[in-house]
Amino acid sequence: MNGDAIIKLRDIAKSYWRETLEIPVLQGIDFDIPQGGYYALMGPSGSGKTTLLNLIAGIDRPTRGSLEVCGYELNDFDDDELAAWRNAHVGFIFQNYNLIPVLTAFENVELPLLLTPMSRRARRARVEEVLSLVNLEDRMLNYPRQLSGGQEQRVAIARAIVGNPDLLVADEPTGALDHQNAEEILNLMERLNTDLGKTILVVTHDPKAAHHARFQIHLDKGVFDKTVEVNR
Amino acid sequence: MFLVTLLQSLLTTLDAVSNNPTSSNRLVVRHKSGLAQVLPMSYLTYLKAQPEVESATYLQWFGGTYKDPSNFFANFASDETTLFQVFKEEFGASGVTEDQIQDFVRDGTGCIVGKALADKFGWKVGDVVPLQGTIFPISPRLTIRVIFRGTKPSQENVLHFHYKVLAEGVPRMKGQVGTFFLRVHNADQIPRLSARIDNHYANSASETLSETENAFNLSFVKMLGNISAMIQGITVAVLVAILIVTAGTMSVAIRERTTEIAVLRAMGFRTGLVLSLLLGEGMLLVGGGGIIGVGLAGLAAGGIRKGVGASVPFLEDFSLLPSTMLLCLGITFVVGLLSTFIPAYQATRRPITEGLRSIG
Ligand SMILES: Nc1ncnc2c1ncn2[C@@H]1O[C@H](COP(=O)(O)OP(=O)(O)O)[C@@H](O)[C@H]1O
Ligand SMILES: [Mg+2]
Repeated sequence: MNGDAIIKLRDIAKSYWRETLEIPVLQGIDFDIPQGGYYALMGPSGSGKTTLLNLIAGIDRPTRGSLEVCGYELNDFDDDELAAWRNAHVGFIFQNYNLIPVLTAFENVELPLLLTPMSRRARRARVEEVLSLVNLEDRMLNYPRQLSGGQEQRVAIARAIVGNPDLLVADEPTGALDHQNAEEILNLMERLNTDLGKTILVVTHDPKAAHHARFQIHLDKGVFDKTVEVNR
Repeated sequence: MFLVTLLQSLLTTLDAVSNNPTSSNRLVVRHKSGLAQVLPMSYLTYLKAQPEVESATYLQWFGGTYKDPSNFFANFASDETTLFQVFKEEFGASGVTEDQIQDFVRDGTGCIVGKALADKFGWKVGDVVPLQGTIFPISPRLTIRVIFRGTKPSQENVLHFHYKVLAEGVPRMKGQVGTFFLRVHNADQIPRLSARIDNHYANSASETLSETENAFNLSFVKMLGNISAMIQGITVAVLVAILIVTAGTMSVAIRERTTEIAVLRAMGFRTGLVLSLLLGEGMLLVGGGGIIGVGLAGLAAGGIRKGVGASVPFLEDFSLLPSTMLLCLGITFVVGLLSTFIPAYQATRRPITEGLRSIG
């Protein structure tokens, strides 16, 4: 693959232990994802998609192998450095949106910026900018329970991109949405990739969702199976 | 916290009874065999003659009731002139004038009552108060000549009338009295003086027991049992119960937010920061409750003073000292910290991936 890969996985393995019994979940994962790519991670349930995504996003650590993401070898970081790295480089999108229920849409989106040295005024401007990007500028003061599922996921996407990360990771982002809302979210993510140049890695078992990506990486029982280019 | 604050205040109130600064330079002389026994009035001559003694007076607990036996308050047959010399501070603080004292001195059936007591029964100067004797078989009708203010409510729930009324109405009390109160020049002289007095009357028909007024009051408090220890025990038990309940509540509250915590950490919030946020929130929650509790206790203190204080001596001074409030708020924050720390610490130790998975 090309030299400006944003994700470089080298012989990644991940195991869980039940007592002394080793349960391998991922084995010998070895691939690159280029800067600006839009990749879907696919495979049957239990094949290790979420585990791999978590490793790449720096919220879990591999048992073996090295992973370089956004130019940093994640194994070199301690927990606090890894947290700071996530804040600067990774945006998270979850299946269940995971907004903080006691905060408004505005405050939810503002959260990652509280860890940056940005001024209050600059934060406000940035939050308004990304909320209008997801067409929710008129919902800023609403609480999550006052929003539809599709709107909640758009707030979550705004939160993921507010810190201008290079990489967006999404685990089944449309899994909780109906067809129409899912389509809207997928179009939004595609725009983030084409217009803003975000690298996107999305875990999904929905073929429609996977079809929005440029490439599909297939996992099977914890082993890399194949990469498929999506034809349009 | 409400309970804890009230209990602690009860302690400080009881403490204050035996720790009145103005009574530290007074000595009480009574019969060695107990409060029900009386001493010969003639002892006064010897007591007054001691060089340390500035002034001396005598009191007899009359134990009379007003209209209804449940109307309990302190009333004494006292010497109408020396009373004001020995209890200078108590009456001096009231702004009672010499003219008013003379009104009382001139009227053989006059009496002097505290403001709180007068308010309770709606008495005015000039009213006649019939006192029903319970220990003594007389029921004097007394005319109120002076209503005085004390420095504390307990000093105002009292009535004094002329000793002569008792001495003339009850033959066996002629020349006899329950207690002598001596005011000394210097509190340091009390131990030596009381030893000398008790020595002097040792082996006489009526032996004496001399002690400071504080110690004398304390013996009343002790009669109520070892209350302090009991209250401390209850306080500790209540605190342990509170700690268990709040720790349980906080751990449920924090467990409910496992996902939120994981999301914050995924976003880049450091573990230490999340932990301090949780601790701060826990302290705020528990502390808020504590402030409300202490505030309620402050309100309740007034109620206890008015309600229970009228019938239970010593509780009439029930109040919340600022130091008690601070102590209780301090305890609250410690409880908040302790009860939040363990579940919060566990929550931030858990892997982020597990927190995200727990949504199902
Ligand atoms: N904390 C864990 N302890 C033990 N086994 C786990 C743990 N997390 C995941 N697994 C196992 O790893 C495998 C892959 O899980 P996951 O990555 O969630 O798969 P997918 O997302 O593809 O459905 C599953 O068999 C799962 O049971
Ligand atoms: Mg999964």
